[in-house]
Order: sequence, then C-alpha cells, then structure tokens
Amino acid sequence: MIHDFCIMKNQVKLNPIEMKKLLAIGIFTVISIYGYSQKQVIDSLKDVIERHEGKLNALDDRVLVNETDLAKLNKIKVSGYIQAQWEMYGADLEKTNGYDNTFYVRRARIKFIYEPASGVAFVLQPDFSTGNIVLKDAYAQINIPKLQGWSLWAGQMNRPDYEVEYSSSQREVMERSRFIKALYPGEREIGAKLEYIGTKIPLKFQLMVMNGNYNGPTAQAAVQNAKDVDSKKDVMARLVYSIKIPGAGIGIDLGPNFYFGGNLSKNNKYYKNSDGTLDSLKSVWKYLDKNWVGGEIQIFADVLGGTAIKAEFASGINSVPSAVAATATMAQMKASPSLYNNFTGYYLYFIKNFGPKNQFVVRYDYYDPNTKIPNSSFNVDAKGNNISYKTWDLAWQYYLNDNIRISLQYEMPKNEINASNPTDKKDNMFTVRVQAKF
Amino acid sequence: MKKNKILTIMLILAVMASATAFSQAKITVKGSDTMVILAQRWAELYMKSNPQTTIQVTGGGSGVGITALINGTTDICDASRPMKQTEIEKLKSRSNTLGVEIPCAKDGVTIFLNDANKVNELTLKQISDIYTAKIRNWKELGGVDAEIRLYGRENSSGTYTYLHDEVVKADYASTVQSLPGTAAVVNAVKKDVNGIGYGGAAYAVGVKYAKVKKDANSTGYVPSAETIAKSQYPITRYLYMYLRNRPTGETKKYIDWILGPEGQRVVTEVGYFPYK
Repeated sequence: MIHDFCIMKNQVKLNPIEMKKLLAIGIFTVISIYGYSQKQVIDSLKDVIERHEGKLNALDDRVLVNETDLAKLNKIKVSGYIQAQWEMYGADLEKTNGYDNTFYVRRARIKFIYEPASGVAFVLQPDFSTGNIVLKDAYAQINIPKLQGWSLWAGQMNRPDYEVEYSSSQREVMERSRFIKALYPGEREIGAKLEYIGTKIPLKFQLMVMNGNYNGPTAQAAVQNAKDVDSKKDVMARLVYSIKIPGAGIGIDLGPNFYFGGNLSKNNKYYKNSDGTLDSLKSVWKYLDKNWVGGEIQIFADVLGGTAIKAEFASGINSVPSAVAATATMAQMKASPSLYNNFTGYYLYFIKNFGPKNQFVVRYDYYDPNTKIPNSSFNVDAKGNNISYKTWDLAWQYYLNDNIRISLQYEMPKNEINASNPTDKKDNMFTVRVQAKF
Repeated sequence: MKKNKILTIMLILAVMASATAFSQAKITVKGSDTMVILAQRWAELYMKSNPQTTIQVTGGGSGVGITALINGTTDICDASRPMKQTEIEKLKSRSNTLGVEIPCAKDGVTIFLNDANKVNELTLKQISDIYTAKIRNWKELGGVDAEIRLYGRENSSGTYTYLHDEVVKADYASTVQSLPGTAAVVNAVKKDVNGIGYGGAAYAVGVKYAKVKKDANSTGYVPSAETIAKSQYPITRYLYMYLRNRPTGETKKYIDWILGPEGQRVVTEVGYFPYK
C-alpha cells in the first residue's frame, strides 16, 4: 500500500493548496474516526455505568427491605437461662426420696420481650420443667403517656415483693426464703399493676390488684390458676425509698409493703383461730381474712469491694379455706374448719463480693406459720407447713464469664420440735449448680 | 462429719478465691465512642510516665461499656451519658455497690450541618422536630427546598441516648441513618449538602456547627469553652467514668491524674472542655 502510494505520488504531482486540502481531509478523517471510536467507548462505558447503576439501585432496595426487617427483629429480645445441679441430702431426706443424691435440671427458661414502640413491651416467658411446660410471665407493660415514671402492667407477672421480683438467675442463694415461698407460691399472679419509678425523687411505688389464688406453676394448679375462684380481688402495695451517701459509698433502699385480701369459704362457716379456738362466720360463702404487713431494707456498701445486707419481714393473718363438700354436716364442718393462721416470717442476707468473679453469701430465714401455738401440729397453712423453721444457707458463687456461673450451697434447716417432730430432722442439703445464661 | 467436711471445703475455696481477687495487673477502659480518642490520649500519655501500668482502651458505645462494667469485664467504663436507673439496679444486683460516678470532662453535643447549608441556627424544638420527622424539608427552616437527610448514632451510643432523653424526647424517625461513631456522622454530613448529624464537639472537621438556641427568642450559641463554662450552650453534658468500687491503687492514681492539670490539658487539646 505504501509502495503504491509512492508510485502514485511520483505519478501525480499535487500543488501546495491541494496538499493542504488533502492534509485537512486526512486530519479531519482521523479526528472523526478517533471521535467516533471515543464515542463508542463512552457509549459503552455509559451502558456499563447504567447497568451497574441499575444493580446498585436494586441492591439499595434490597438493603432497605433488609434494614426494615432488621429493625423489626431488633424490637424482639430473647434471653434465658438453664440451671443444672447436683444435690446431696441428709439421712431423713434420703429416706423420703429413696436416694441421697441426684442430678436435676432446676430451671430452664426463655423470655421473649417485644418492644414495638418506646414505652411499650410485651413479655412472654415459658418455664420448661422436666415433663412440664408452664407459663411464668405473660403480660403487657405500657408507660403512661405524659406521666413520666408511671407504667401500667396487665397479665400474669411477679407479685410486687423484693425477693419475688429478684430473678432466680441473679439471686445469690439457690431458692427463695421459706416464708416468701409460702405466702407467694409460684411468685406470679394474674392481675393489673400500677408502677411508679421516680427520676427526680428516689421513690418506687407499686400497686397490684389480682385474683389472689395463684398456687404455683404446676400442671395441677394450672386450671385453678387460670381464673379467680371468688369475686373479691386481692391488693398488694409496696413503697421503696432510696437513700444514697456517695461519699461513704453507701446506698440504702427501704420501705413498707401490704397485702389485703381474702379467701372465700364456700361451704363451711367454721374456722379455727391460731390459738386453737373454734369460731364461725355469719354464714357460708363469706370471706376469711388474708392480710399482712411487711417491710424491706437493702444496704449496699462499697466496703472492701461490694457488700450487701438485705432483710425483709412479714407478719399477719393467712387463711386456709375448708375443703368440705357443700353437703357437709355441722359435725363435718366443725371437724374440718377453715384456718386462720397468725404467721411471722423474715430473712436476713449477708453478701460479700471478692473482686468481679467471687461472691460469698450467708442467709438466715425464719418462718412460723402459726405464732400462737408453739406445737401447732393441728394447724397447717396453705402450703402444708405446720411448724416453724430456722434455716441457714451458706453459698459461694463464681462468675466464670458473662454467661456462666457456678454455685455451691449448703442449706441447714432447723425445724420446731413438737409431738409430731420430736427431733430436728436430718434434712440438710448440699448443692452444686451450673447456670448458663444468655 | 459430712457437714464439717463440706464447710471446710467451702472455706478453703473462699480463701483461694480471695487471694486472687485483689490482684490487678492492668487497667481496662471500655465504653463511649465519643470519649475513645480522649481515653486513648490519656492512656498513652500516662503510660509514658508510668511504664509499670498497662492501660487498654476500647470503644463500642456507652451502653457496651456499662454492660461490661456490670459483668465485671472492664475496670473503668467511659460514658457520655449518666447511667440509667435500670443499669444501677443491675450493678447493685451483680456487684452489691452503687458504682462510682466520676465526671471527667464536659462536652457540647454539637449539631453538624454541611458548610453549604444556608441554615445556621436551630432551636431545641426544631432539632426535636427534625429528628422525629415532623420537619422534613430545609425550606421549613429557611433553607433550600430539599429533603432533610438524618444521620445519627446506634442505640448503644451514649450520645444517642443523651440527645433522645434531653432534646428529642420521643422516638427517633425511622429514616435516621445509624452510623458507628461521631467521625462517621461528620463524614456523612460533609458529603451531603442536605444532611444533619450530631455528636461530640471534638470531632467536627469539614462541617459547620449549628448555633443552638433554647427557643425562638433566645440567642443561639455554638459549643465553645466560654459558652460551656457559662452554661450558655443548651446541650451541654458531662462525660463520665464509672467504676464498680471506689478506686484504689494504680486505678486511683490514674484517675487522679486524669482529673488533675495534665489530664485536663489533654481534654482541651482533644476538643472537649474541663470538667470544672
């Protein structure tokens, strides 16, 4: 081609103007070809960008959907814990149980909290016992608008008491004290609660209206627990005031609590007082008193690390309705009267933290289900207790990490001596527990 | 006999655990992202003159730090907000103390605007309305006709909680983009003419501070040493260190240094304000 161009050049002699025209055409052609190829590149790049823009927009939409779904999922909180333990018993418990040691899954719980908006929560907590799944918590909690600190709760929830509300996963000893278990079986009640937690005033107030017949989270009790058994509602009230002495590293929470309620005696107008005397209501289908007053105090002190002293007491009347049939005769009614028990119970904790991982605990708890009669073998409370107990618990907790706690406890109950119980039973118990919490 | 053996075993375990409980080889500091740069500068400077002490600093947000304090996985928690009552109750349950609160610096929670934004001043109510999406367009505030794009922090952030509790006082709008630190918020607003964000005063580079006024009739102020010292800037807060127990030993020495002239000089250098 170059050879031919050279021949052509030799054969055709171009004048300067024509040369310039030719050069201009050549340059123009080159520029056009270059421009055209650049346009092709640009168009091709535009296509690529538009395609990727489309993909990015689609990705944007997917991310938005995922973010919306994640925002919804973030409103649900799931927590729970498992307590697995090994227990060893004293001789009398061995005779009762048929064994002197056992492994046991004491608690396995999952708690679901759904917070659809600020100040609203729905809580559901099943309890998975061996061979049984029961409902522990099922309630809604709403912060009352424009009343800062006030909230309304409705459903099945803890009764407003310090040791009742203190979670089993946090509690420093294995079980609640004897009198608390007797007064508040199963810890929960079905009702409605008004709560105030002050921000400017260090005050906590709780008022709960409830059915008053919750009898523990067993399958047998489930039917009775589902609804009320009489028309009266029981009321609990609790007030706690907090005092801080920051310079001394001391905090004190203290206050009174009250229980007002009743048990309907449907078929028996006769009842036995705490002192053994027989009395009667005006007629059947009347209410027996169930009233007591109590108080609590918790002292937290930054003394050589964390130290706490906690105490609570309650004293009053707890009644047990007679179980006679509607067709019972006068003699049968008198033979199985309802019971009025004057009771007293209290506990005292001493808790000492050693660094962030170790904790030593001593608890003394006292419960007398019938204070009027020392040998109350004829008088039982709703839990079947008829003698007083003084119980010492010594415990050690070790926090392996955020989720795992290992506990050792030695429990030493000392029962009241009477005709039915001439000696202190050999019912001490040693427990090793591992708790996994998430 | 069995009872005595068991009690003896428990006593021995108690003594063994106690022997390890009081030893402390290093100081861990965890919490506020607002304070993390400050905490790192403190730690670096202190360790230079105290080489026998190791101080480990991490962020994650005030909420993360407080949880770590409760669970015993940090010695000092940095927080850009006060502890909530529920957190104090958890600390009481776990550690049987009220905790120790130490204000260590002051900060003005700054509202960041892009340099090109015509709006320069906002009342507290307007900030609340913007972050609850009641005000959605800059033209409602005297700016251009453009949608307001909201940038904020994650809910583990103390700054998020502080602004929510003190200014916004309602749920944040769902359109707020949550970002993992004040630096990220500043970066987002710097690139977005229509963006608005918030964070600690020490981070603002490449964006402008909005003047904040209590109400329409008040004077607007930007956070500065003077406006904060005189309590003129409306969104002033303390920055805190929290501990489970009253500090002793090396921890006490470190905290005393932070609260002293050297530590407070670092506060000013980083862009915050002395606590006194």
